[in-house]
Amino acid sequence: MKRVITASLNRNAYQFEEDAYARLEAWLAEASARLAGDPDRTEILADLEQAIADQCTQRLRPHQQVVTLEELQPALDHVGRVETPDVGAAAAPEAPASAGAAAPLKLEQISQGAWISGVCLGLARYSGLDPTLVRALAVVLLFITGGGMILLYAVMMLMIPFAPLDASLPAPGTLPTKCREATLYLRAKFATLTTG
Amino acid sequence: MTDPESKLTPLRKGLLEFLVLKIVGRESVYVPDILRRLAGTEFATQEGTLYPLLSKLRREDLVHYEWRESETGPPRKYYRLTAAGEAQLAVLDEYWTRINHTIAAIGR
Repeated sequence: MKRVITASLNRNAYQFEEDAYARLEAWLAEASARLAGDPDRTEILADLEQAIADQCTQRLRPHQQVVTLEELQPALDHVGRVETPDVGAAAAPEAPASAGAAAPLKLEQISQGAWISGVCLGLARYSGLDPTLVRALAVVLLFITGGGMILLYAVMMLMIPFAPLDASLPAPGTLPTKCREATLYLRAKFATLTTG
Repeated sequence: MTDPESKLTPLRKGLLEFLVLKIVGRESVYVPDILRRLAGTEFATQEGTLYPLLSKLRREDLVHYEWRESETGPPRKYYRLTAAGEAQLAVLDEYWTRINHTIAAIGR
């Protein structure tokens, strides 16, 4: 048996299986972040919610009432990642991926190629150290701190922003994807708490 | 050698706006119509790109939309060009023809 969550997409109620709901919430959180600075963010998000709802509805079998990942994922793939048109600063976050060395280094988690959530990979890029060395240090610290490292990792995972996914690299593995979604979900929850 | 594709991507991105204006200019359309017109071309795109672009064009007062009832679902936004949009499209069309002549004239 699976738990079902009712969610409102563009003011209409839809029912989702729990994992599909988590995926959707993470997708919307990322979309919302990518639209940061867009004056029409709320309206665009409503349009996208409607597009996702339409795509899910089309994929439901007759008499099927609950949206599962099987319908949601192709629906999200159809709608595609949010790309903002080039309006000055709004396009800037895209630049580091292609500009490479010229862009100032930002501390980010890198999901692609990550073992857990990409914290070590991000620290390695930021510090210029070899990822293997950073990971080895983290393992050593794990033993020295008697598990305190786990807490430190969790804090960094929750706080360090995620690098945008680079379409030219292989997609992140299962665990990094789960970490990313869970973190974005928690951040979105936290954001709704703080903004009331 | 740099990947030729990396030079084409920004070109395509810029031209997408022009093509969307052209499509909206022919008749009033809603987003799935626009996606269908572009599907199968080099400019195939998705809602995730199109909605932010249409919002920008609306802020620039080049397109506007009206709600229309749908038989199968919630009301839909139908987009069309504003007078400023028509003027902009005419300028872009003219410019496009001109640079195509220039490119052909310079040859290789």
